[in-house]
Amino acid sequence: MAFNVLIVDDSSSMRAVIKKIIKVSGFDVGECWEAADGKEAMKVLMNEWVGLVLTDINMPNMNGMELITEMKKDQVQRSIPVVMVTTEGAEERVQEAMKIGASGYIKKPFLPEEIKRTLSNIMGEAEDGQRHYDDDLEGGDF
Amino acid sequence: MDRDTMMTTLREAISNVLETMFFQPVQIVDNDRTLLEWFSQNESLLGATLDFNGPLSGSLYLIIPMKVVSEITANFLGLRAEEIDEGQKRDTVKETLNMIGGNTLSHSDRKSVFKLGIPKLIEEHDLAYDKLGDLRGDFVLIETEDNHLAVGVAIE
Repeated sequence: MAFNVLIVDDSSSMRAVIKKIIKVSGFDVGECWEAADGKEAMKVLMNEWVGLVLTDINMPNMNGMELITEMKKDQVQRSIPVVMVTTEGAEERVQEAMKIGASGYIKKPFLPEEIKRTLSNIMGEAEDGQRHYDDDLEGGDF
Repeated sequence: MDRDTMMTTLREAISNVLETMFFQPVQIVDNDRTLLEWFSQNESLLGATLDFNGPLSGSLYLIIPMKVVSEITANFLGLRAEEIDEGQKRDTVKETLNMIGGNTLSHSDRKSVFKLGIPKLIEEHDLAYDKLGDLRGDFVLIETEDNHLAVGVAIE
């Protein structure tokens, strides 16, 4: 099943590069939305079905950490996997991102293979989760 | 972390970013040339600056000839040089410095957290040849295949 992606980065060039990598990586991608900061991203998330968010950390208005925190407050958005794509690689920062709910972390500069590998892992886990959820529904007494 | 450690990791970060994201093999030039000696008077330059705060605070600079800007932007976006616009060029210069800065600071001191600012463009007129001498800090001079650029750091 195709999944929709939201790419959040204040650099339009970086968004274009990530988008291109995702498109040519063989993933079954539906829509690929873009946002320049966390605030723009929240608008997209409130209006569209998004299956995966890739976000930078260091952005104006609302940064990537604040975006995850906001998403976790929402019943629907909290289950969307979020991958940080960022230049910030200090251990403490990585741990902080994972602690508040990031599903993965890709450090810039990156090779296309790193994006592909991380997305494969995360989308594989997300599909497994969905399968278990569906199985539970089928097996349950509803 | 001290200044020498930062300069070493800055050199590594420059190579890492330019080679990984822009397919530019780079050579760090180890000599004491000034920016006025490194760039020629008739060269049009574009630059970016990025502030950082943490165990050390200061600013990073990237200064790059327009000809190289077109080349790295085209490489970065996977487009031909004639397909890219001014906005993409300016954005790529800022993002290049952002990656070099983030890479440098996270490798200089893995345990410390630096706060990175948002990269800002330095316009062509502020990089006029006669103003290059006013830029303070330590500069790393870089040669790519057939071009040259400079990255600087000014620690407060």
